[in-house]
Amino acid sequence: MKAVGLRILFYLAVVLLALIVLLPFLWMLISSLKTQIDIVAWPPKFIFSPTLQNYYKVFGEQDFIRYFINSTIVAVFAVGVSLLLGLPAAYSIARFSQRRLAMVILLARLMPGISFLMPWYIIFSRLGLMDSYVALVLSHVLITLPIVVWIMSSYFETIPLELEESAMVDGASRHYIFLKIILPLSGPGIITATTLSFIFSWNNFLFSQVLSMEKTRTLPIAVFNFLSYADIDWGGVMAASVAIMAPALVLTMIFQRYVVSGLTMGAVKG
Amino acid sequence: MASLQIVDVRKAYGPTRVIHGVDIAIDDGEFVILVGPSGCGKSTLLRMIAGLESITGGEIRIGPRVVNDVPPKDRDIAMVFQNYALYPHMTVAENMAFSMKLRKAPKPEIEKRVSEAAEILGLTKLLDRYPRQLSGGQRQRVAMGRAIVRDPQVFLFDEPLSNLDAKLRVQMRTEIKQLHQRLKTTTVYVTHDQIEAMTMADKIVVMHDGVVEQIGAPLELYDRPANLFVAGFIGSPSMNFLKGHLQGGRFVSDSGIALPVANAPAASDGKPIIYGIRPEHFILDDTNGLSAEVSVVEPTGSETQVFAKFAGSDVVGVFRERVNAKPGQQIRVIPDPNLGHLFDEQTGKRI
Repeated sequence: MKAVGLRILFYLAVVLLALIVLLPFLWMLISSLKTQIDIVAWPPKFIFSPTLQNYYKVFGEQDFIRYFINSTIVAVFAVGVSLLLGLPAAYSIARFSQRRLAMVILLARLMPGISFLMPWYIIFSRLGLMDSYVALVLSHVLITLPIVVWIMSSYFETIPLELEESAMVDGASRHYIFLKIILPLSGPGIITATTLSFIFSWNNFLFSQVLSMEKTRTLPIAVFNFLSYADIDWGGVMAASVAIMAPALVLTMIFQRYVVSGLTMGAVKG
Repeated sequence: MASLQIVDVRKAYGPTRVIHGVDIAIDDGEFVILVGPSGCGKSTLLRMIAGLESITGGEIRIGPRVVNDVPPKDRDIAMVFQNYALYPHMTVAENMAFSMKLRKAPKPEIEKRVSEAAEILGLTKLLDRYPRQLSGGQRQRVAMGRAIVRDPQVFLFDEPLSNLDAKLRVQMRTEIKQLHQRLKTTTVYVTHDQIEAMTMADKIVVMHDGVVEQIGAPLELYDRPANLFVAGFIGSPSMNFLKGHLQGGRFVSDSGIALPVANAPAASDGKPIIYGIRPEHFILDDTNGLSAEVSVVEPTGSETQVFAKFAGSDVVGVFRERVNAKPGQQIRVIPDPNLGHLFDEQTGKRI
């Protein structure tokens, strides 16, 4: 009897935790299908006639597709640059025990992003790079590069050293070993790093808000468009949020397996 | 193929010295085994030959060339690692072809060499498999195939059999030896297993705490160990030691038992001595034997191991005869007087 009781308690706890996490998402999804009046109604309405009006607004009235393309360009290049710089960096950190270097990179991540904004604003505006993809990509690299370096350096550490030594004896140079032995074996780690840094770049609000204007505006800023001084178009905000989340969610679902194992990787090795 | 000279080689990690001046000369085509307990520096020495560890002092020569500062890829060596270190994302054939591909050998030649090596090692049917699809013994063979494909100057083996089960280990031992007899490539092989060393080597190098204790042919080491360490390390079960001194051509143990010794040096009379006798050199002798109290009897079928108290010490004897004694009973044994070993107690050196 006691075991059954515990079991019920366990499932209750699981449901409770899941609700805490999922409720806001659910709320967002439901609200995106409601009219403004239904959204602000009190007590909250659970039975209502759903409408796609908010989505029309997002994709019709706003230039959502452009923002979507902007976000994609920035995220893809930020991730690309991070992989290009981060993979070799992570490899040397892992193989030559450059833990201190890794700390420096982490430090950049620990500092509040806003402290970078002012200098960037000045630098990019002097260089005439405001509202350019270059400025946005570079600012996003600050977020994505440390993710790549941290995930990949602990991943590289799990690859047995003997493989490299064997390749060395076989006649391979370090560059060759990195490209032909290490990288092909790092698929799961690279997928994890790519997915996570893509999501972080995709969702970034702060840097894009300050450094982008009309031309390079990204999706999270577009949500902001529904907020005006007079009133807030909650339906539009919710629908836009759903539309923004969708790609990140799909990406995560596809690579979920790798992401989860990638996240625990560093933890086990200590 | 080439000879290999190790001249006064030293290794230190910062202030910690791990190899203190090792000299080994290896002839072209010789099969040399470095053997010793864990931490004796044998693997470090092998890695220095491979170029995976830097050389703190001394000189390593492959053929006429000093290789101290030559990177591993240019030393023309092949190495088999303890955990095989097969490239998991390549097939068996690709694994074996890797080094030749790096040397930009023409494709038909690579294919020819890979299929020859696969033939020798019985891997022909497995060439398209990936390492994860192979058993431990097959992986071991692929690792060797990778080494032999490219006819290097020297083969290096780093405890290649220690991840295999006992039966496979014995089988692979024979195969490696056959392979060497066939290819005649200079080989340096590291193991902590003295049976592997005894059965496979042309020459054994016994190492201990970063120094070479003795170099010699297997039976030379067995019959005439240079010091107490080698005497105790080579042979299984290991040699029995009794403390005492020499007196008038006989060994007298601390417990007062006198044992006959052939050719005892008269000059050593009275000095503290350690007397060594191998387990199989005890003779069962009901008339002239000295009594020993049996503690454990272990029959293996072909022989019988008897653990007993003899001349005040715990000893083990191995007999071809069946011994029916029960624990606590007395048997009468005598060490073969021609086969005892004498060591100086202070220096541990053979007398």
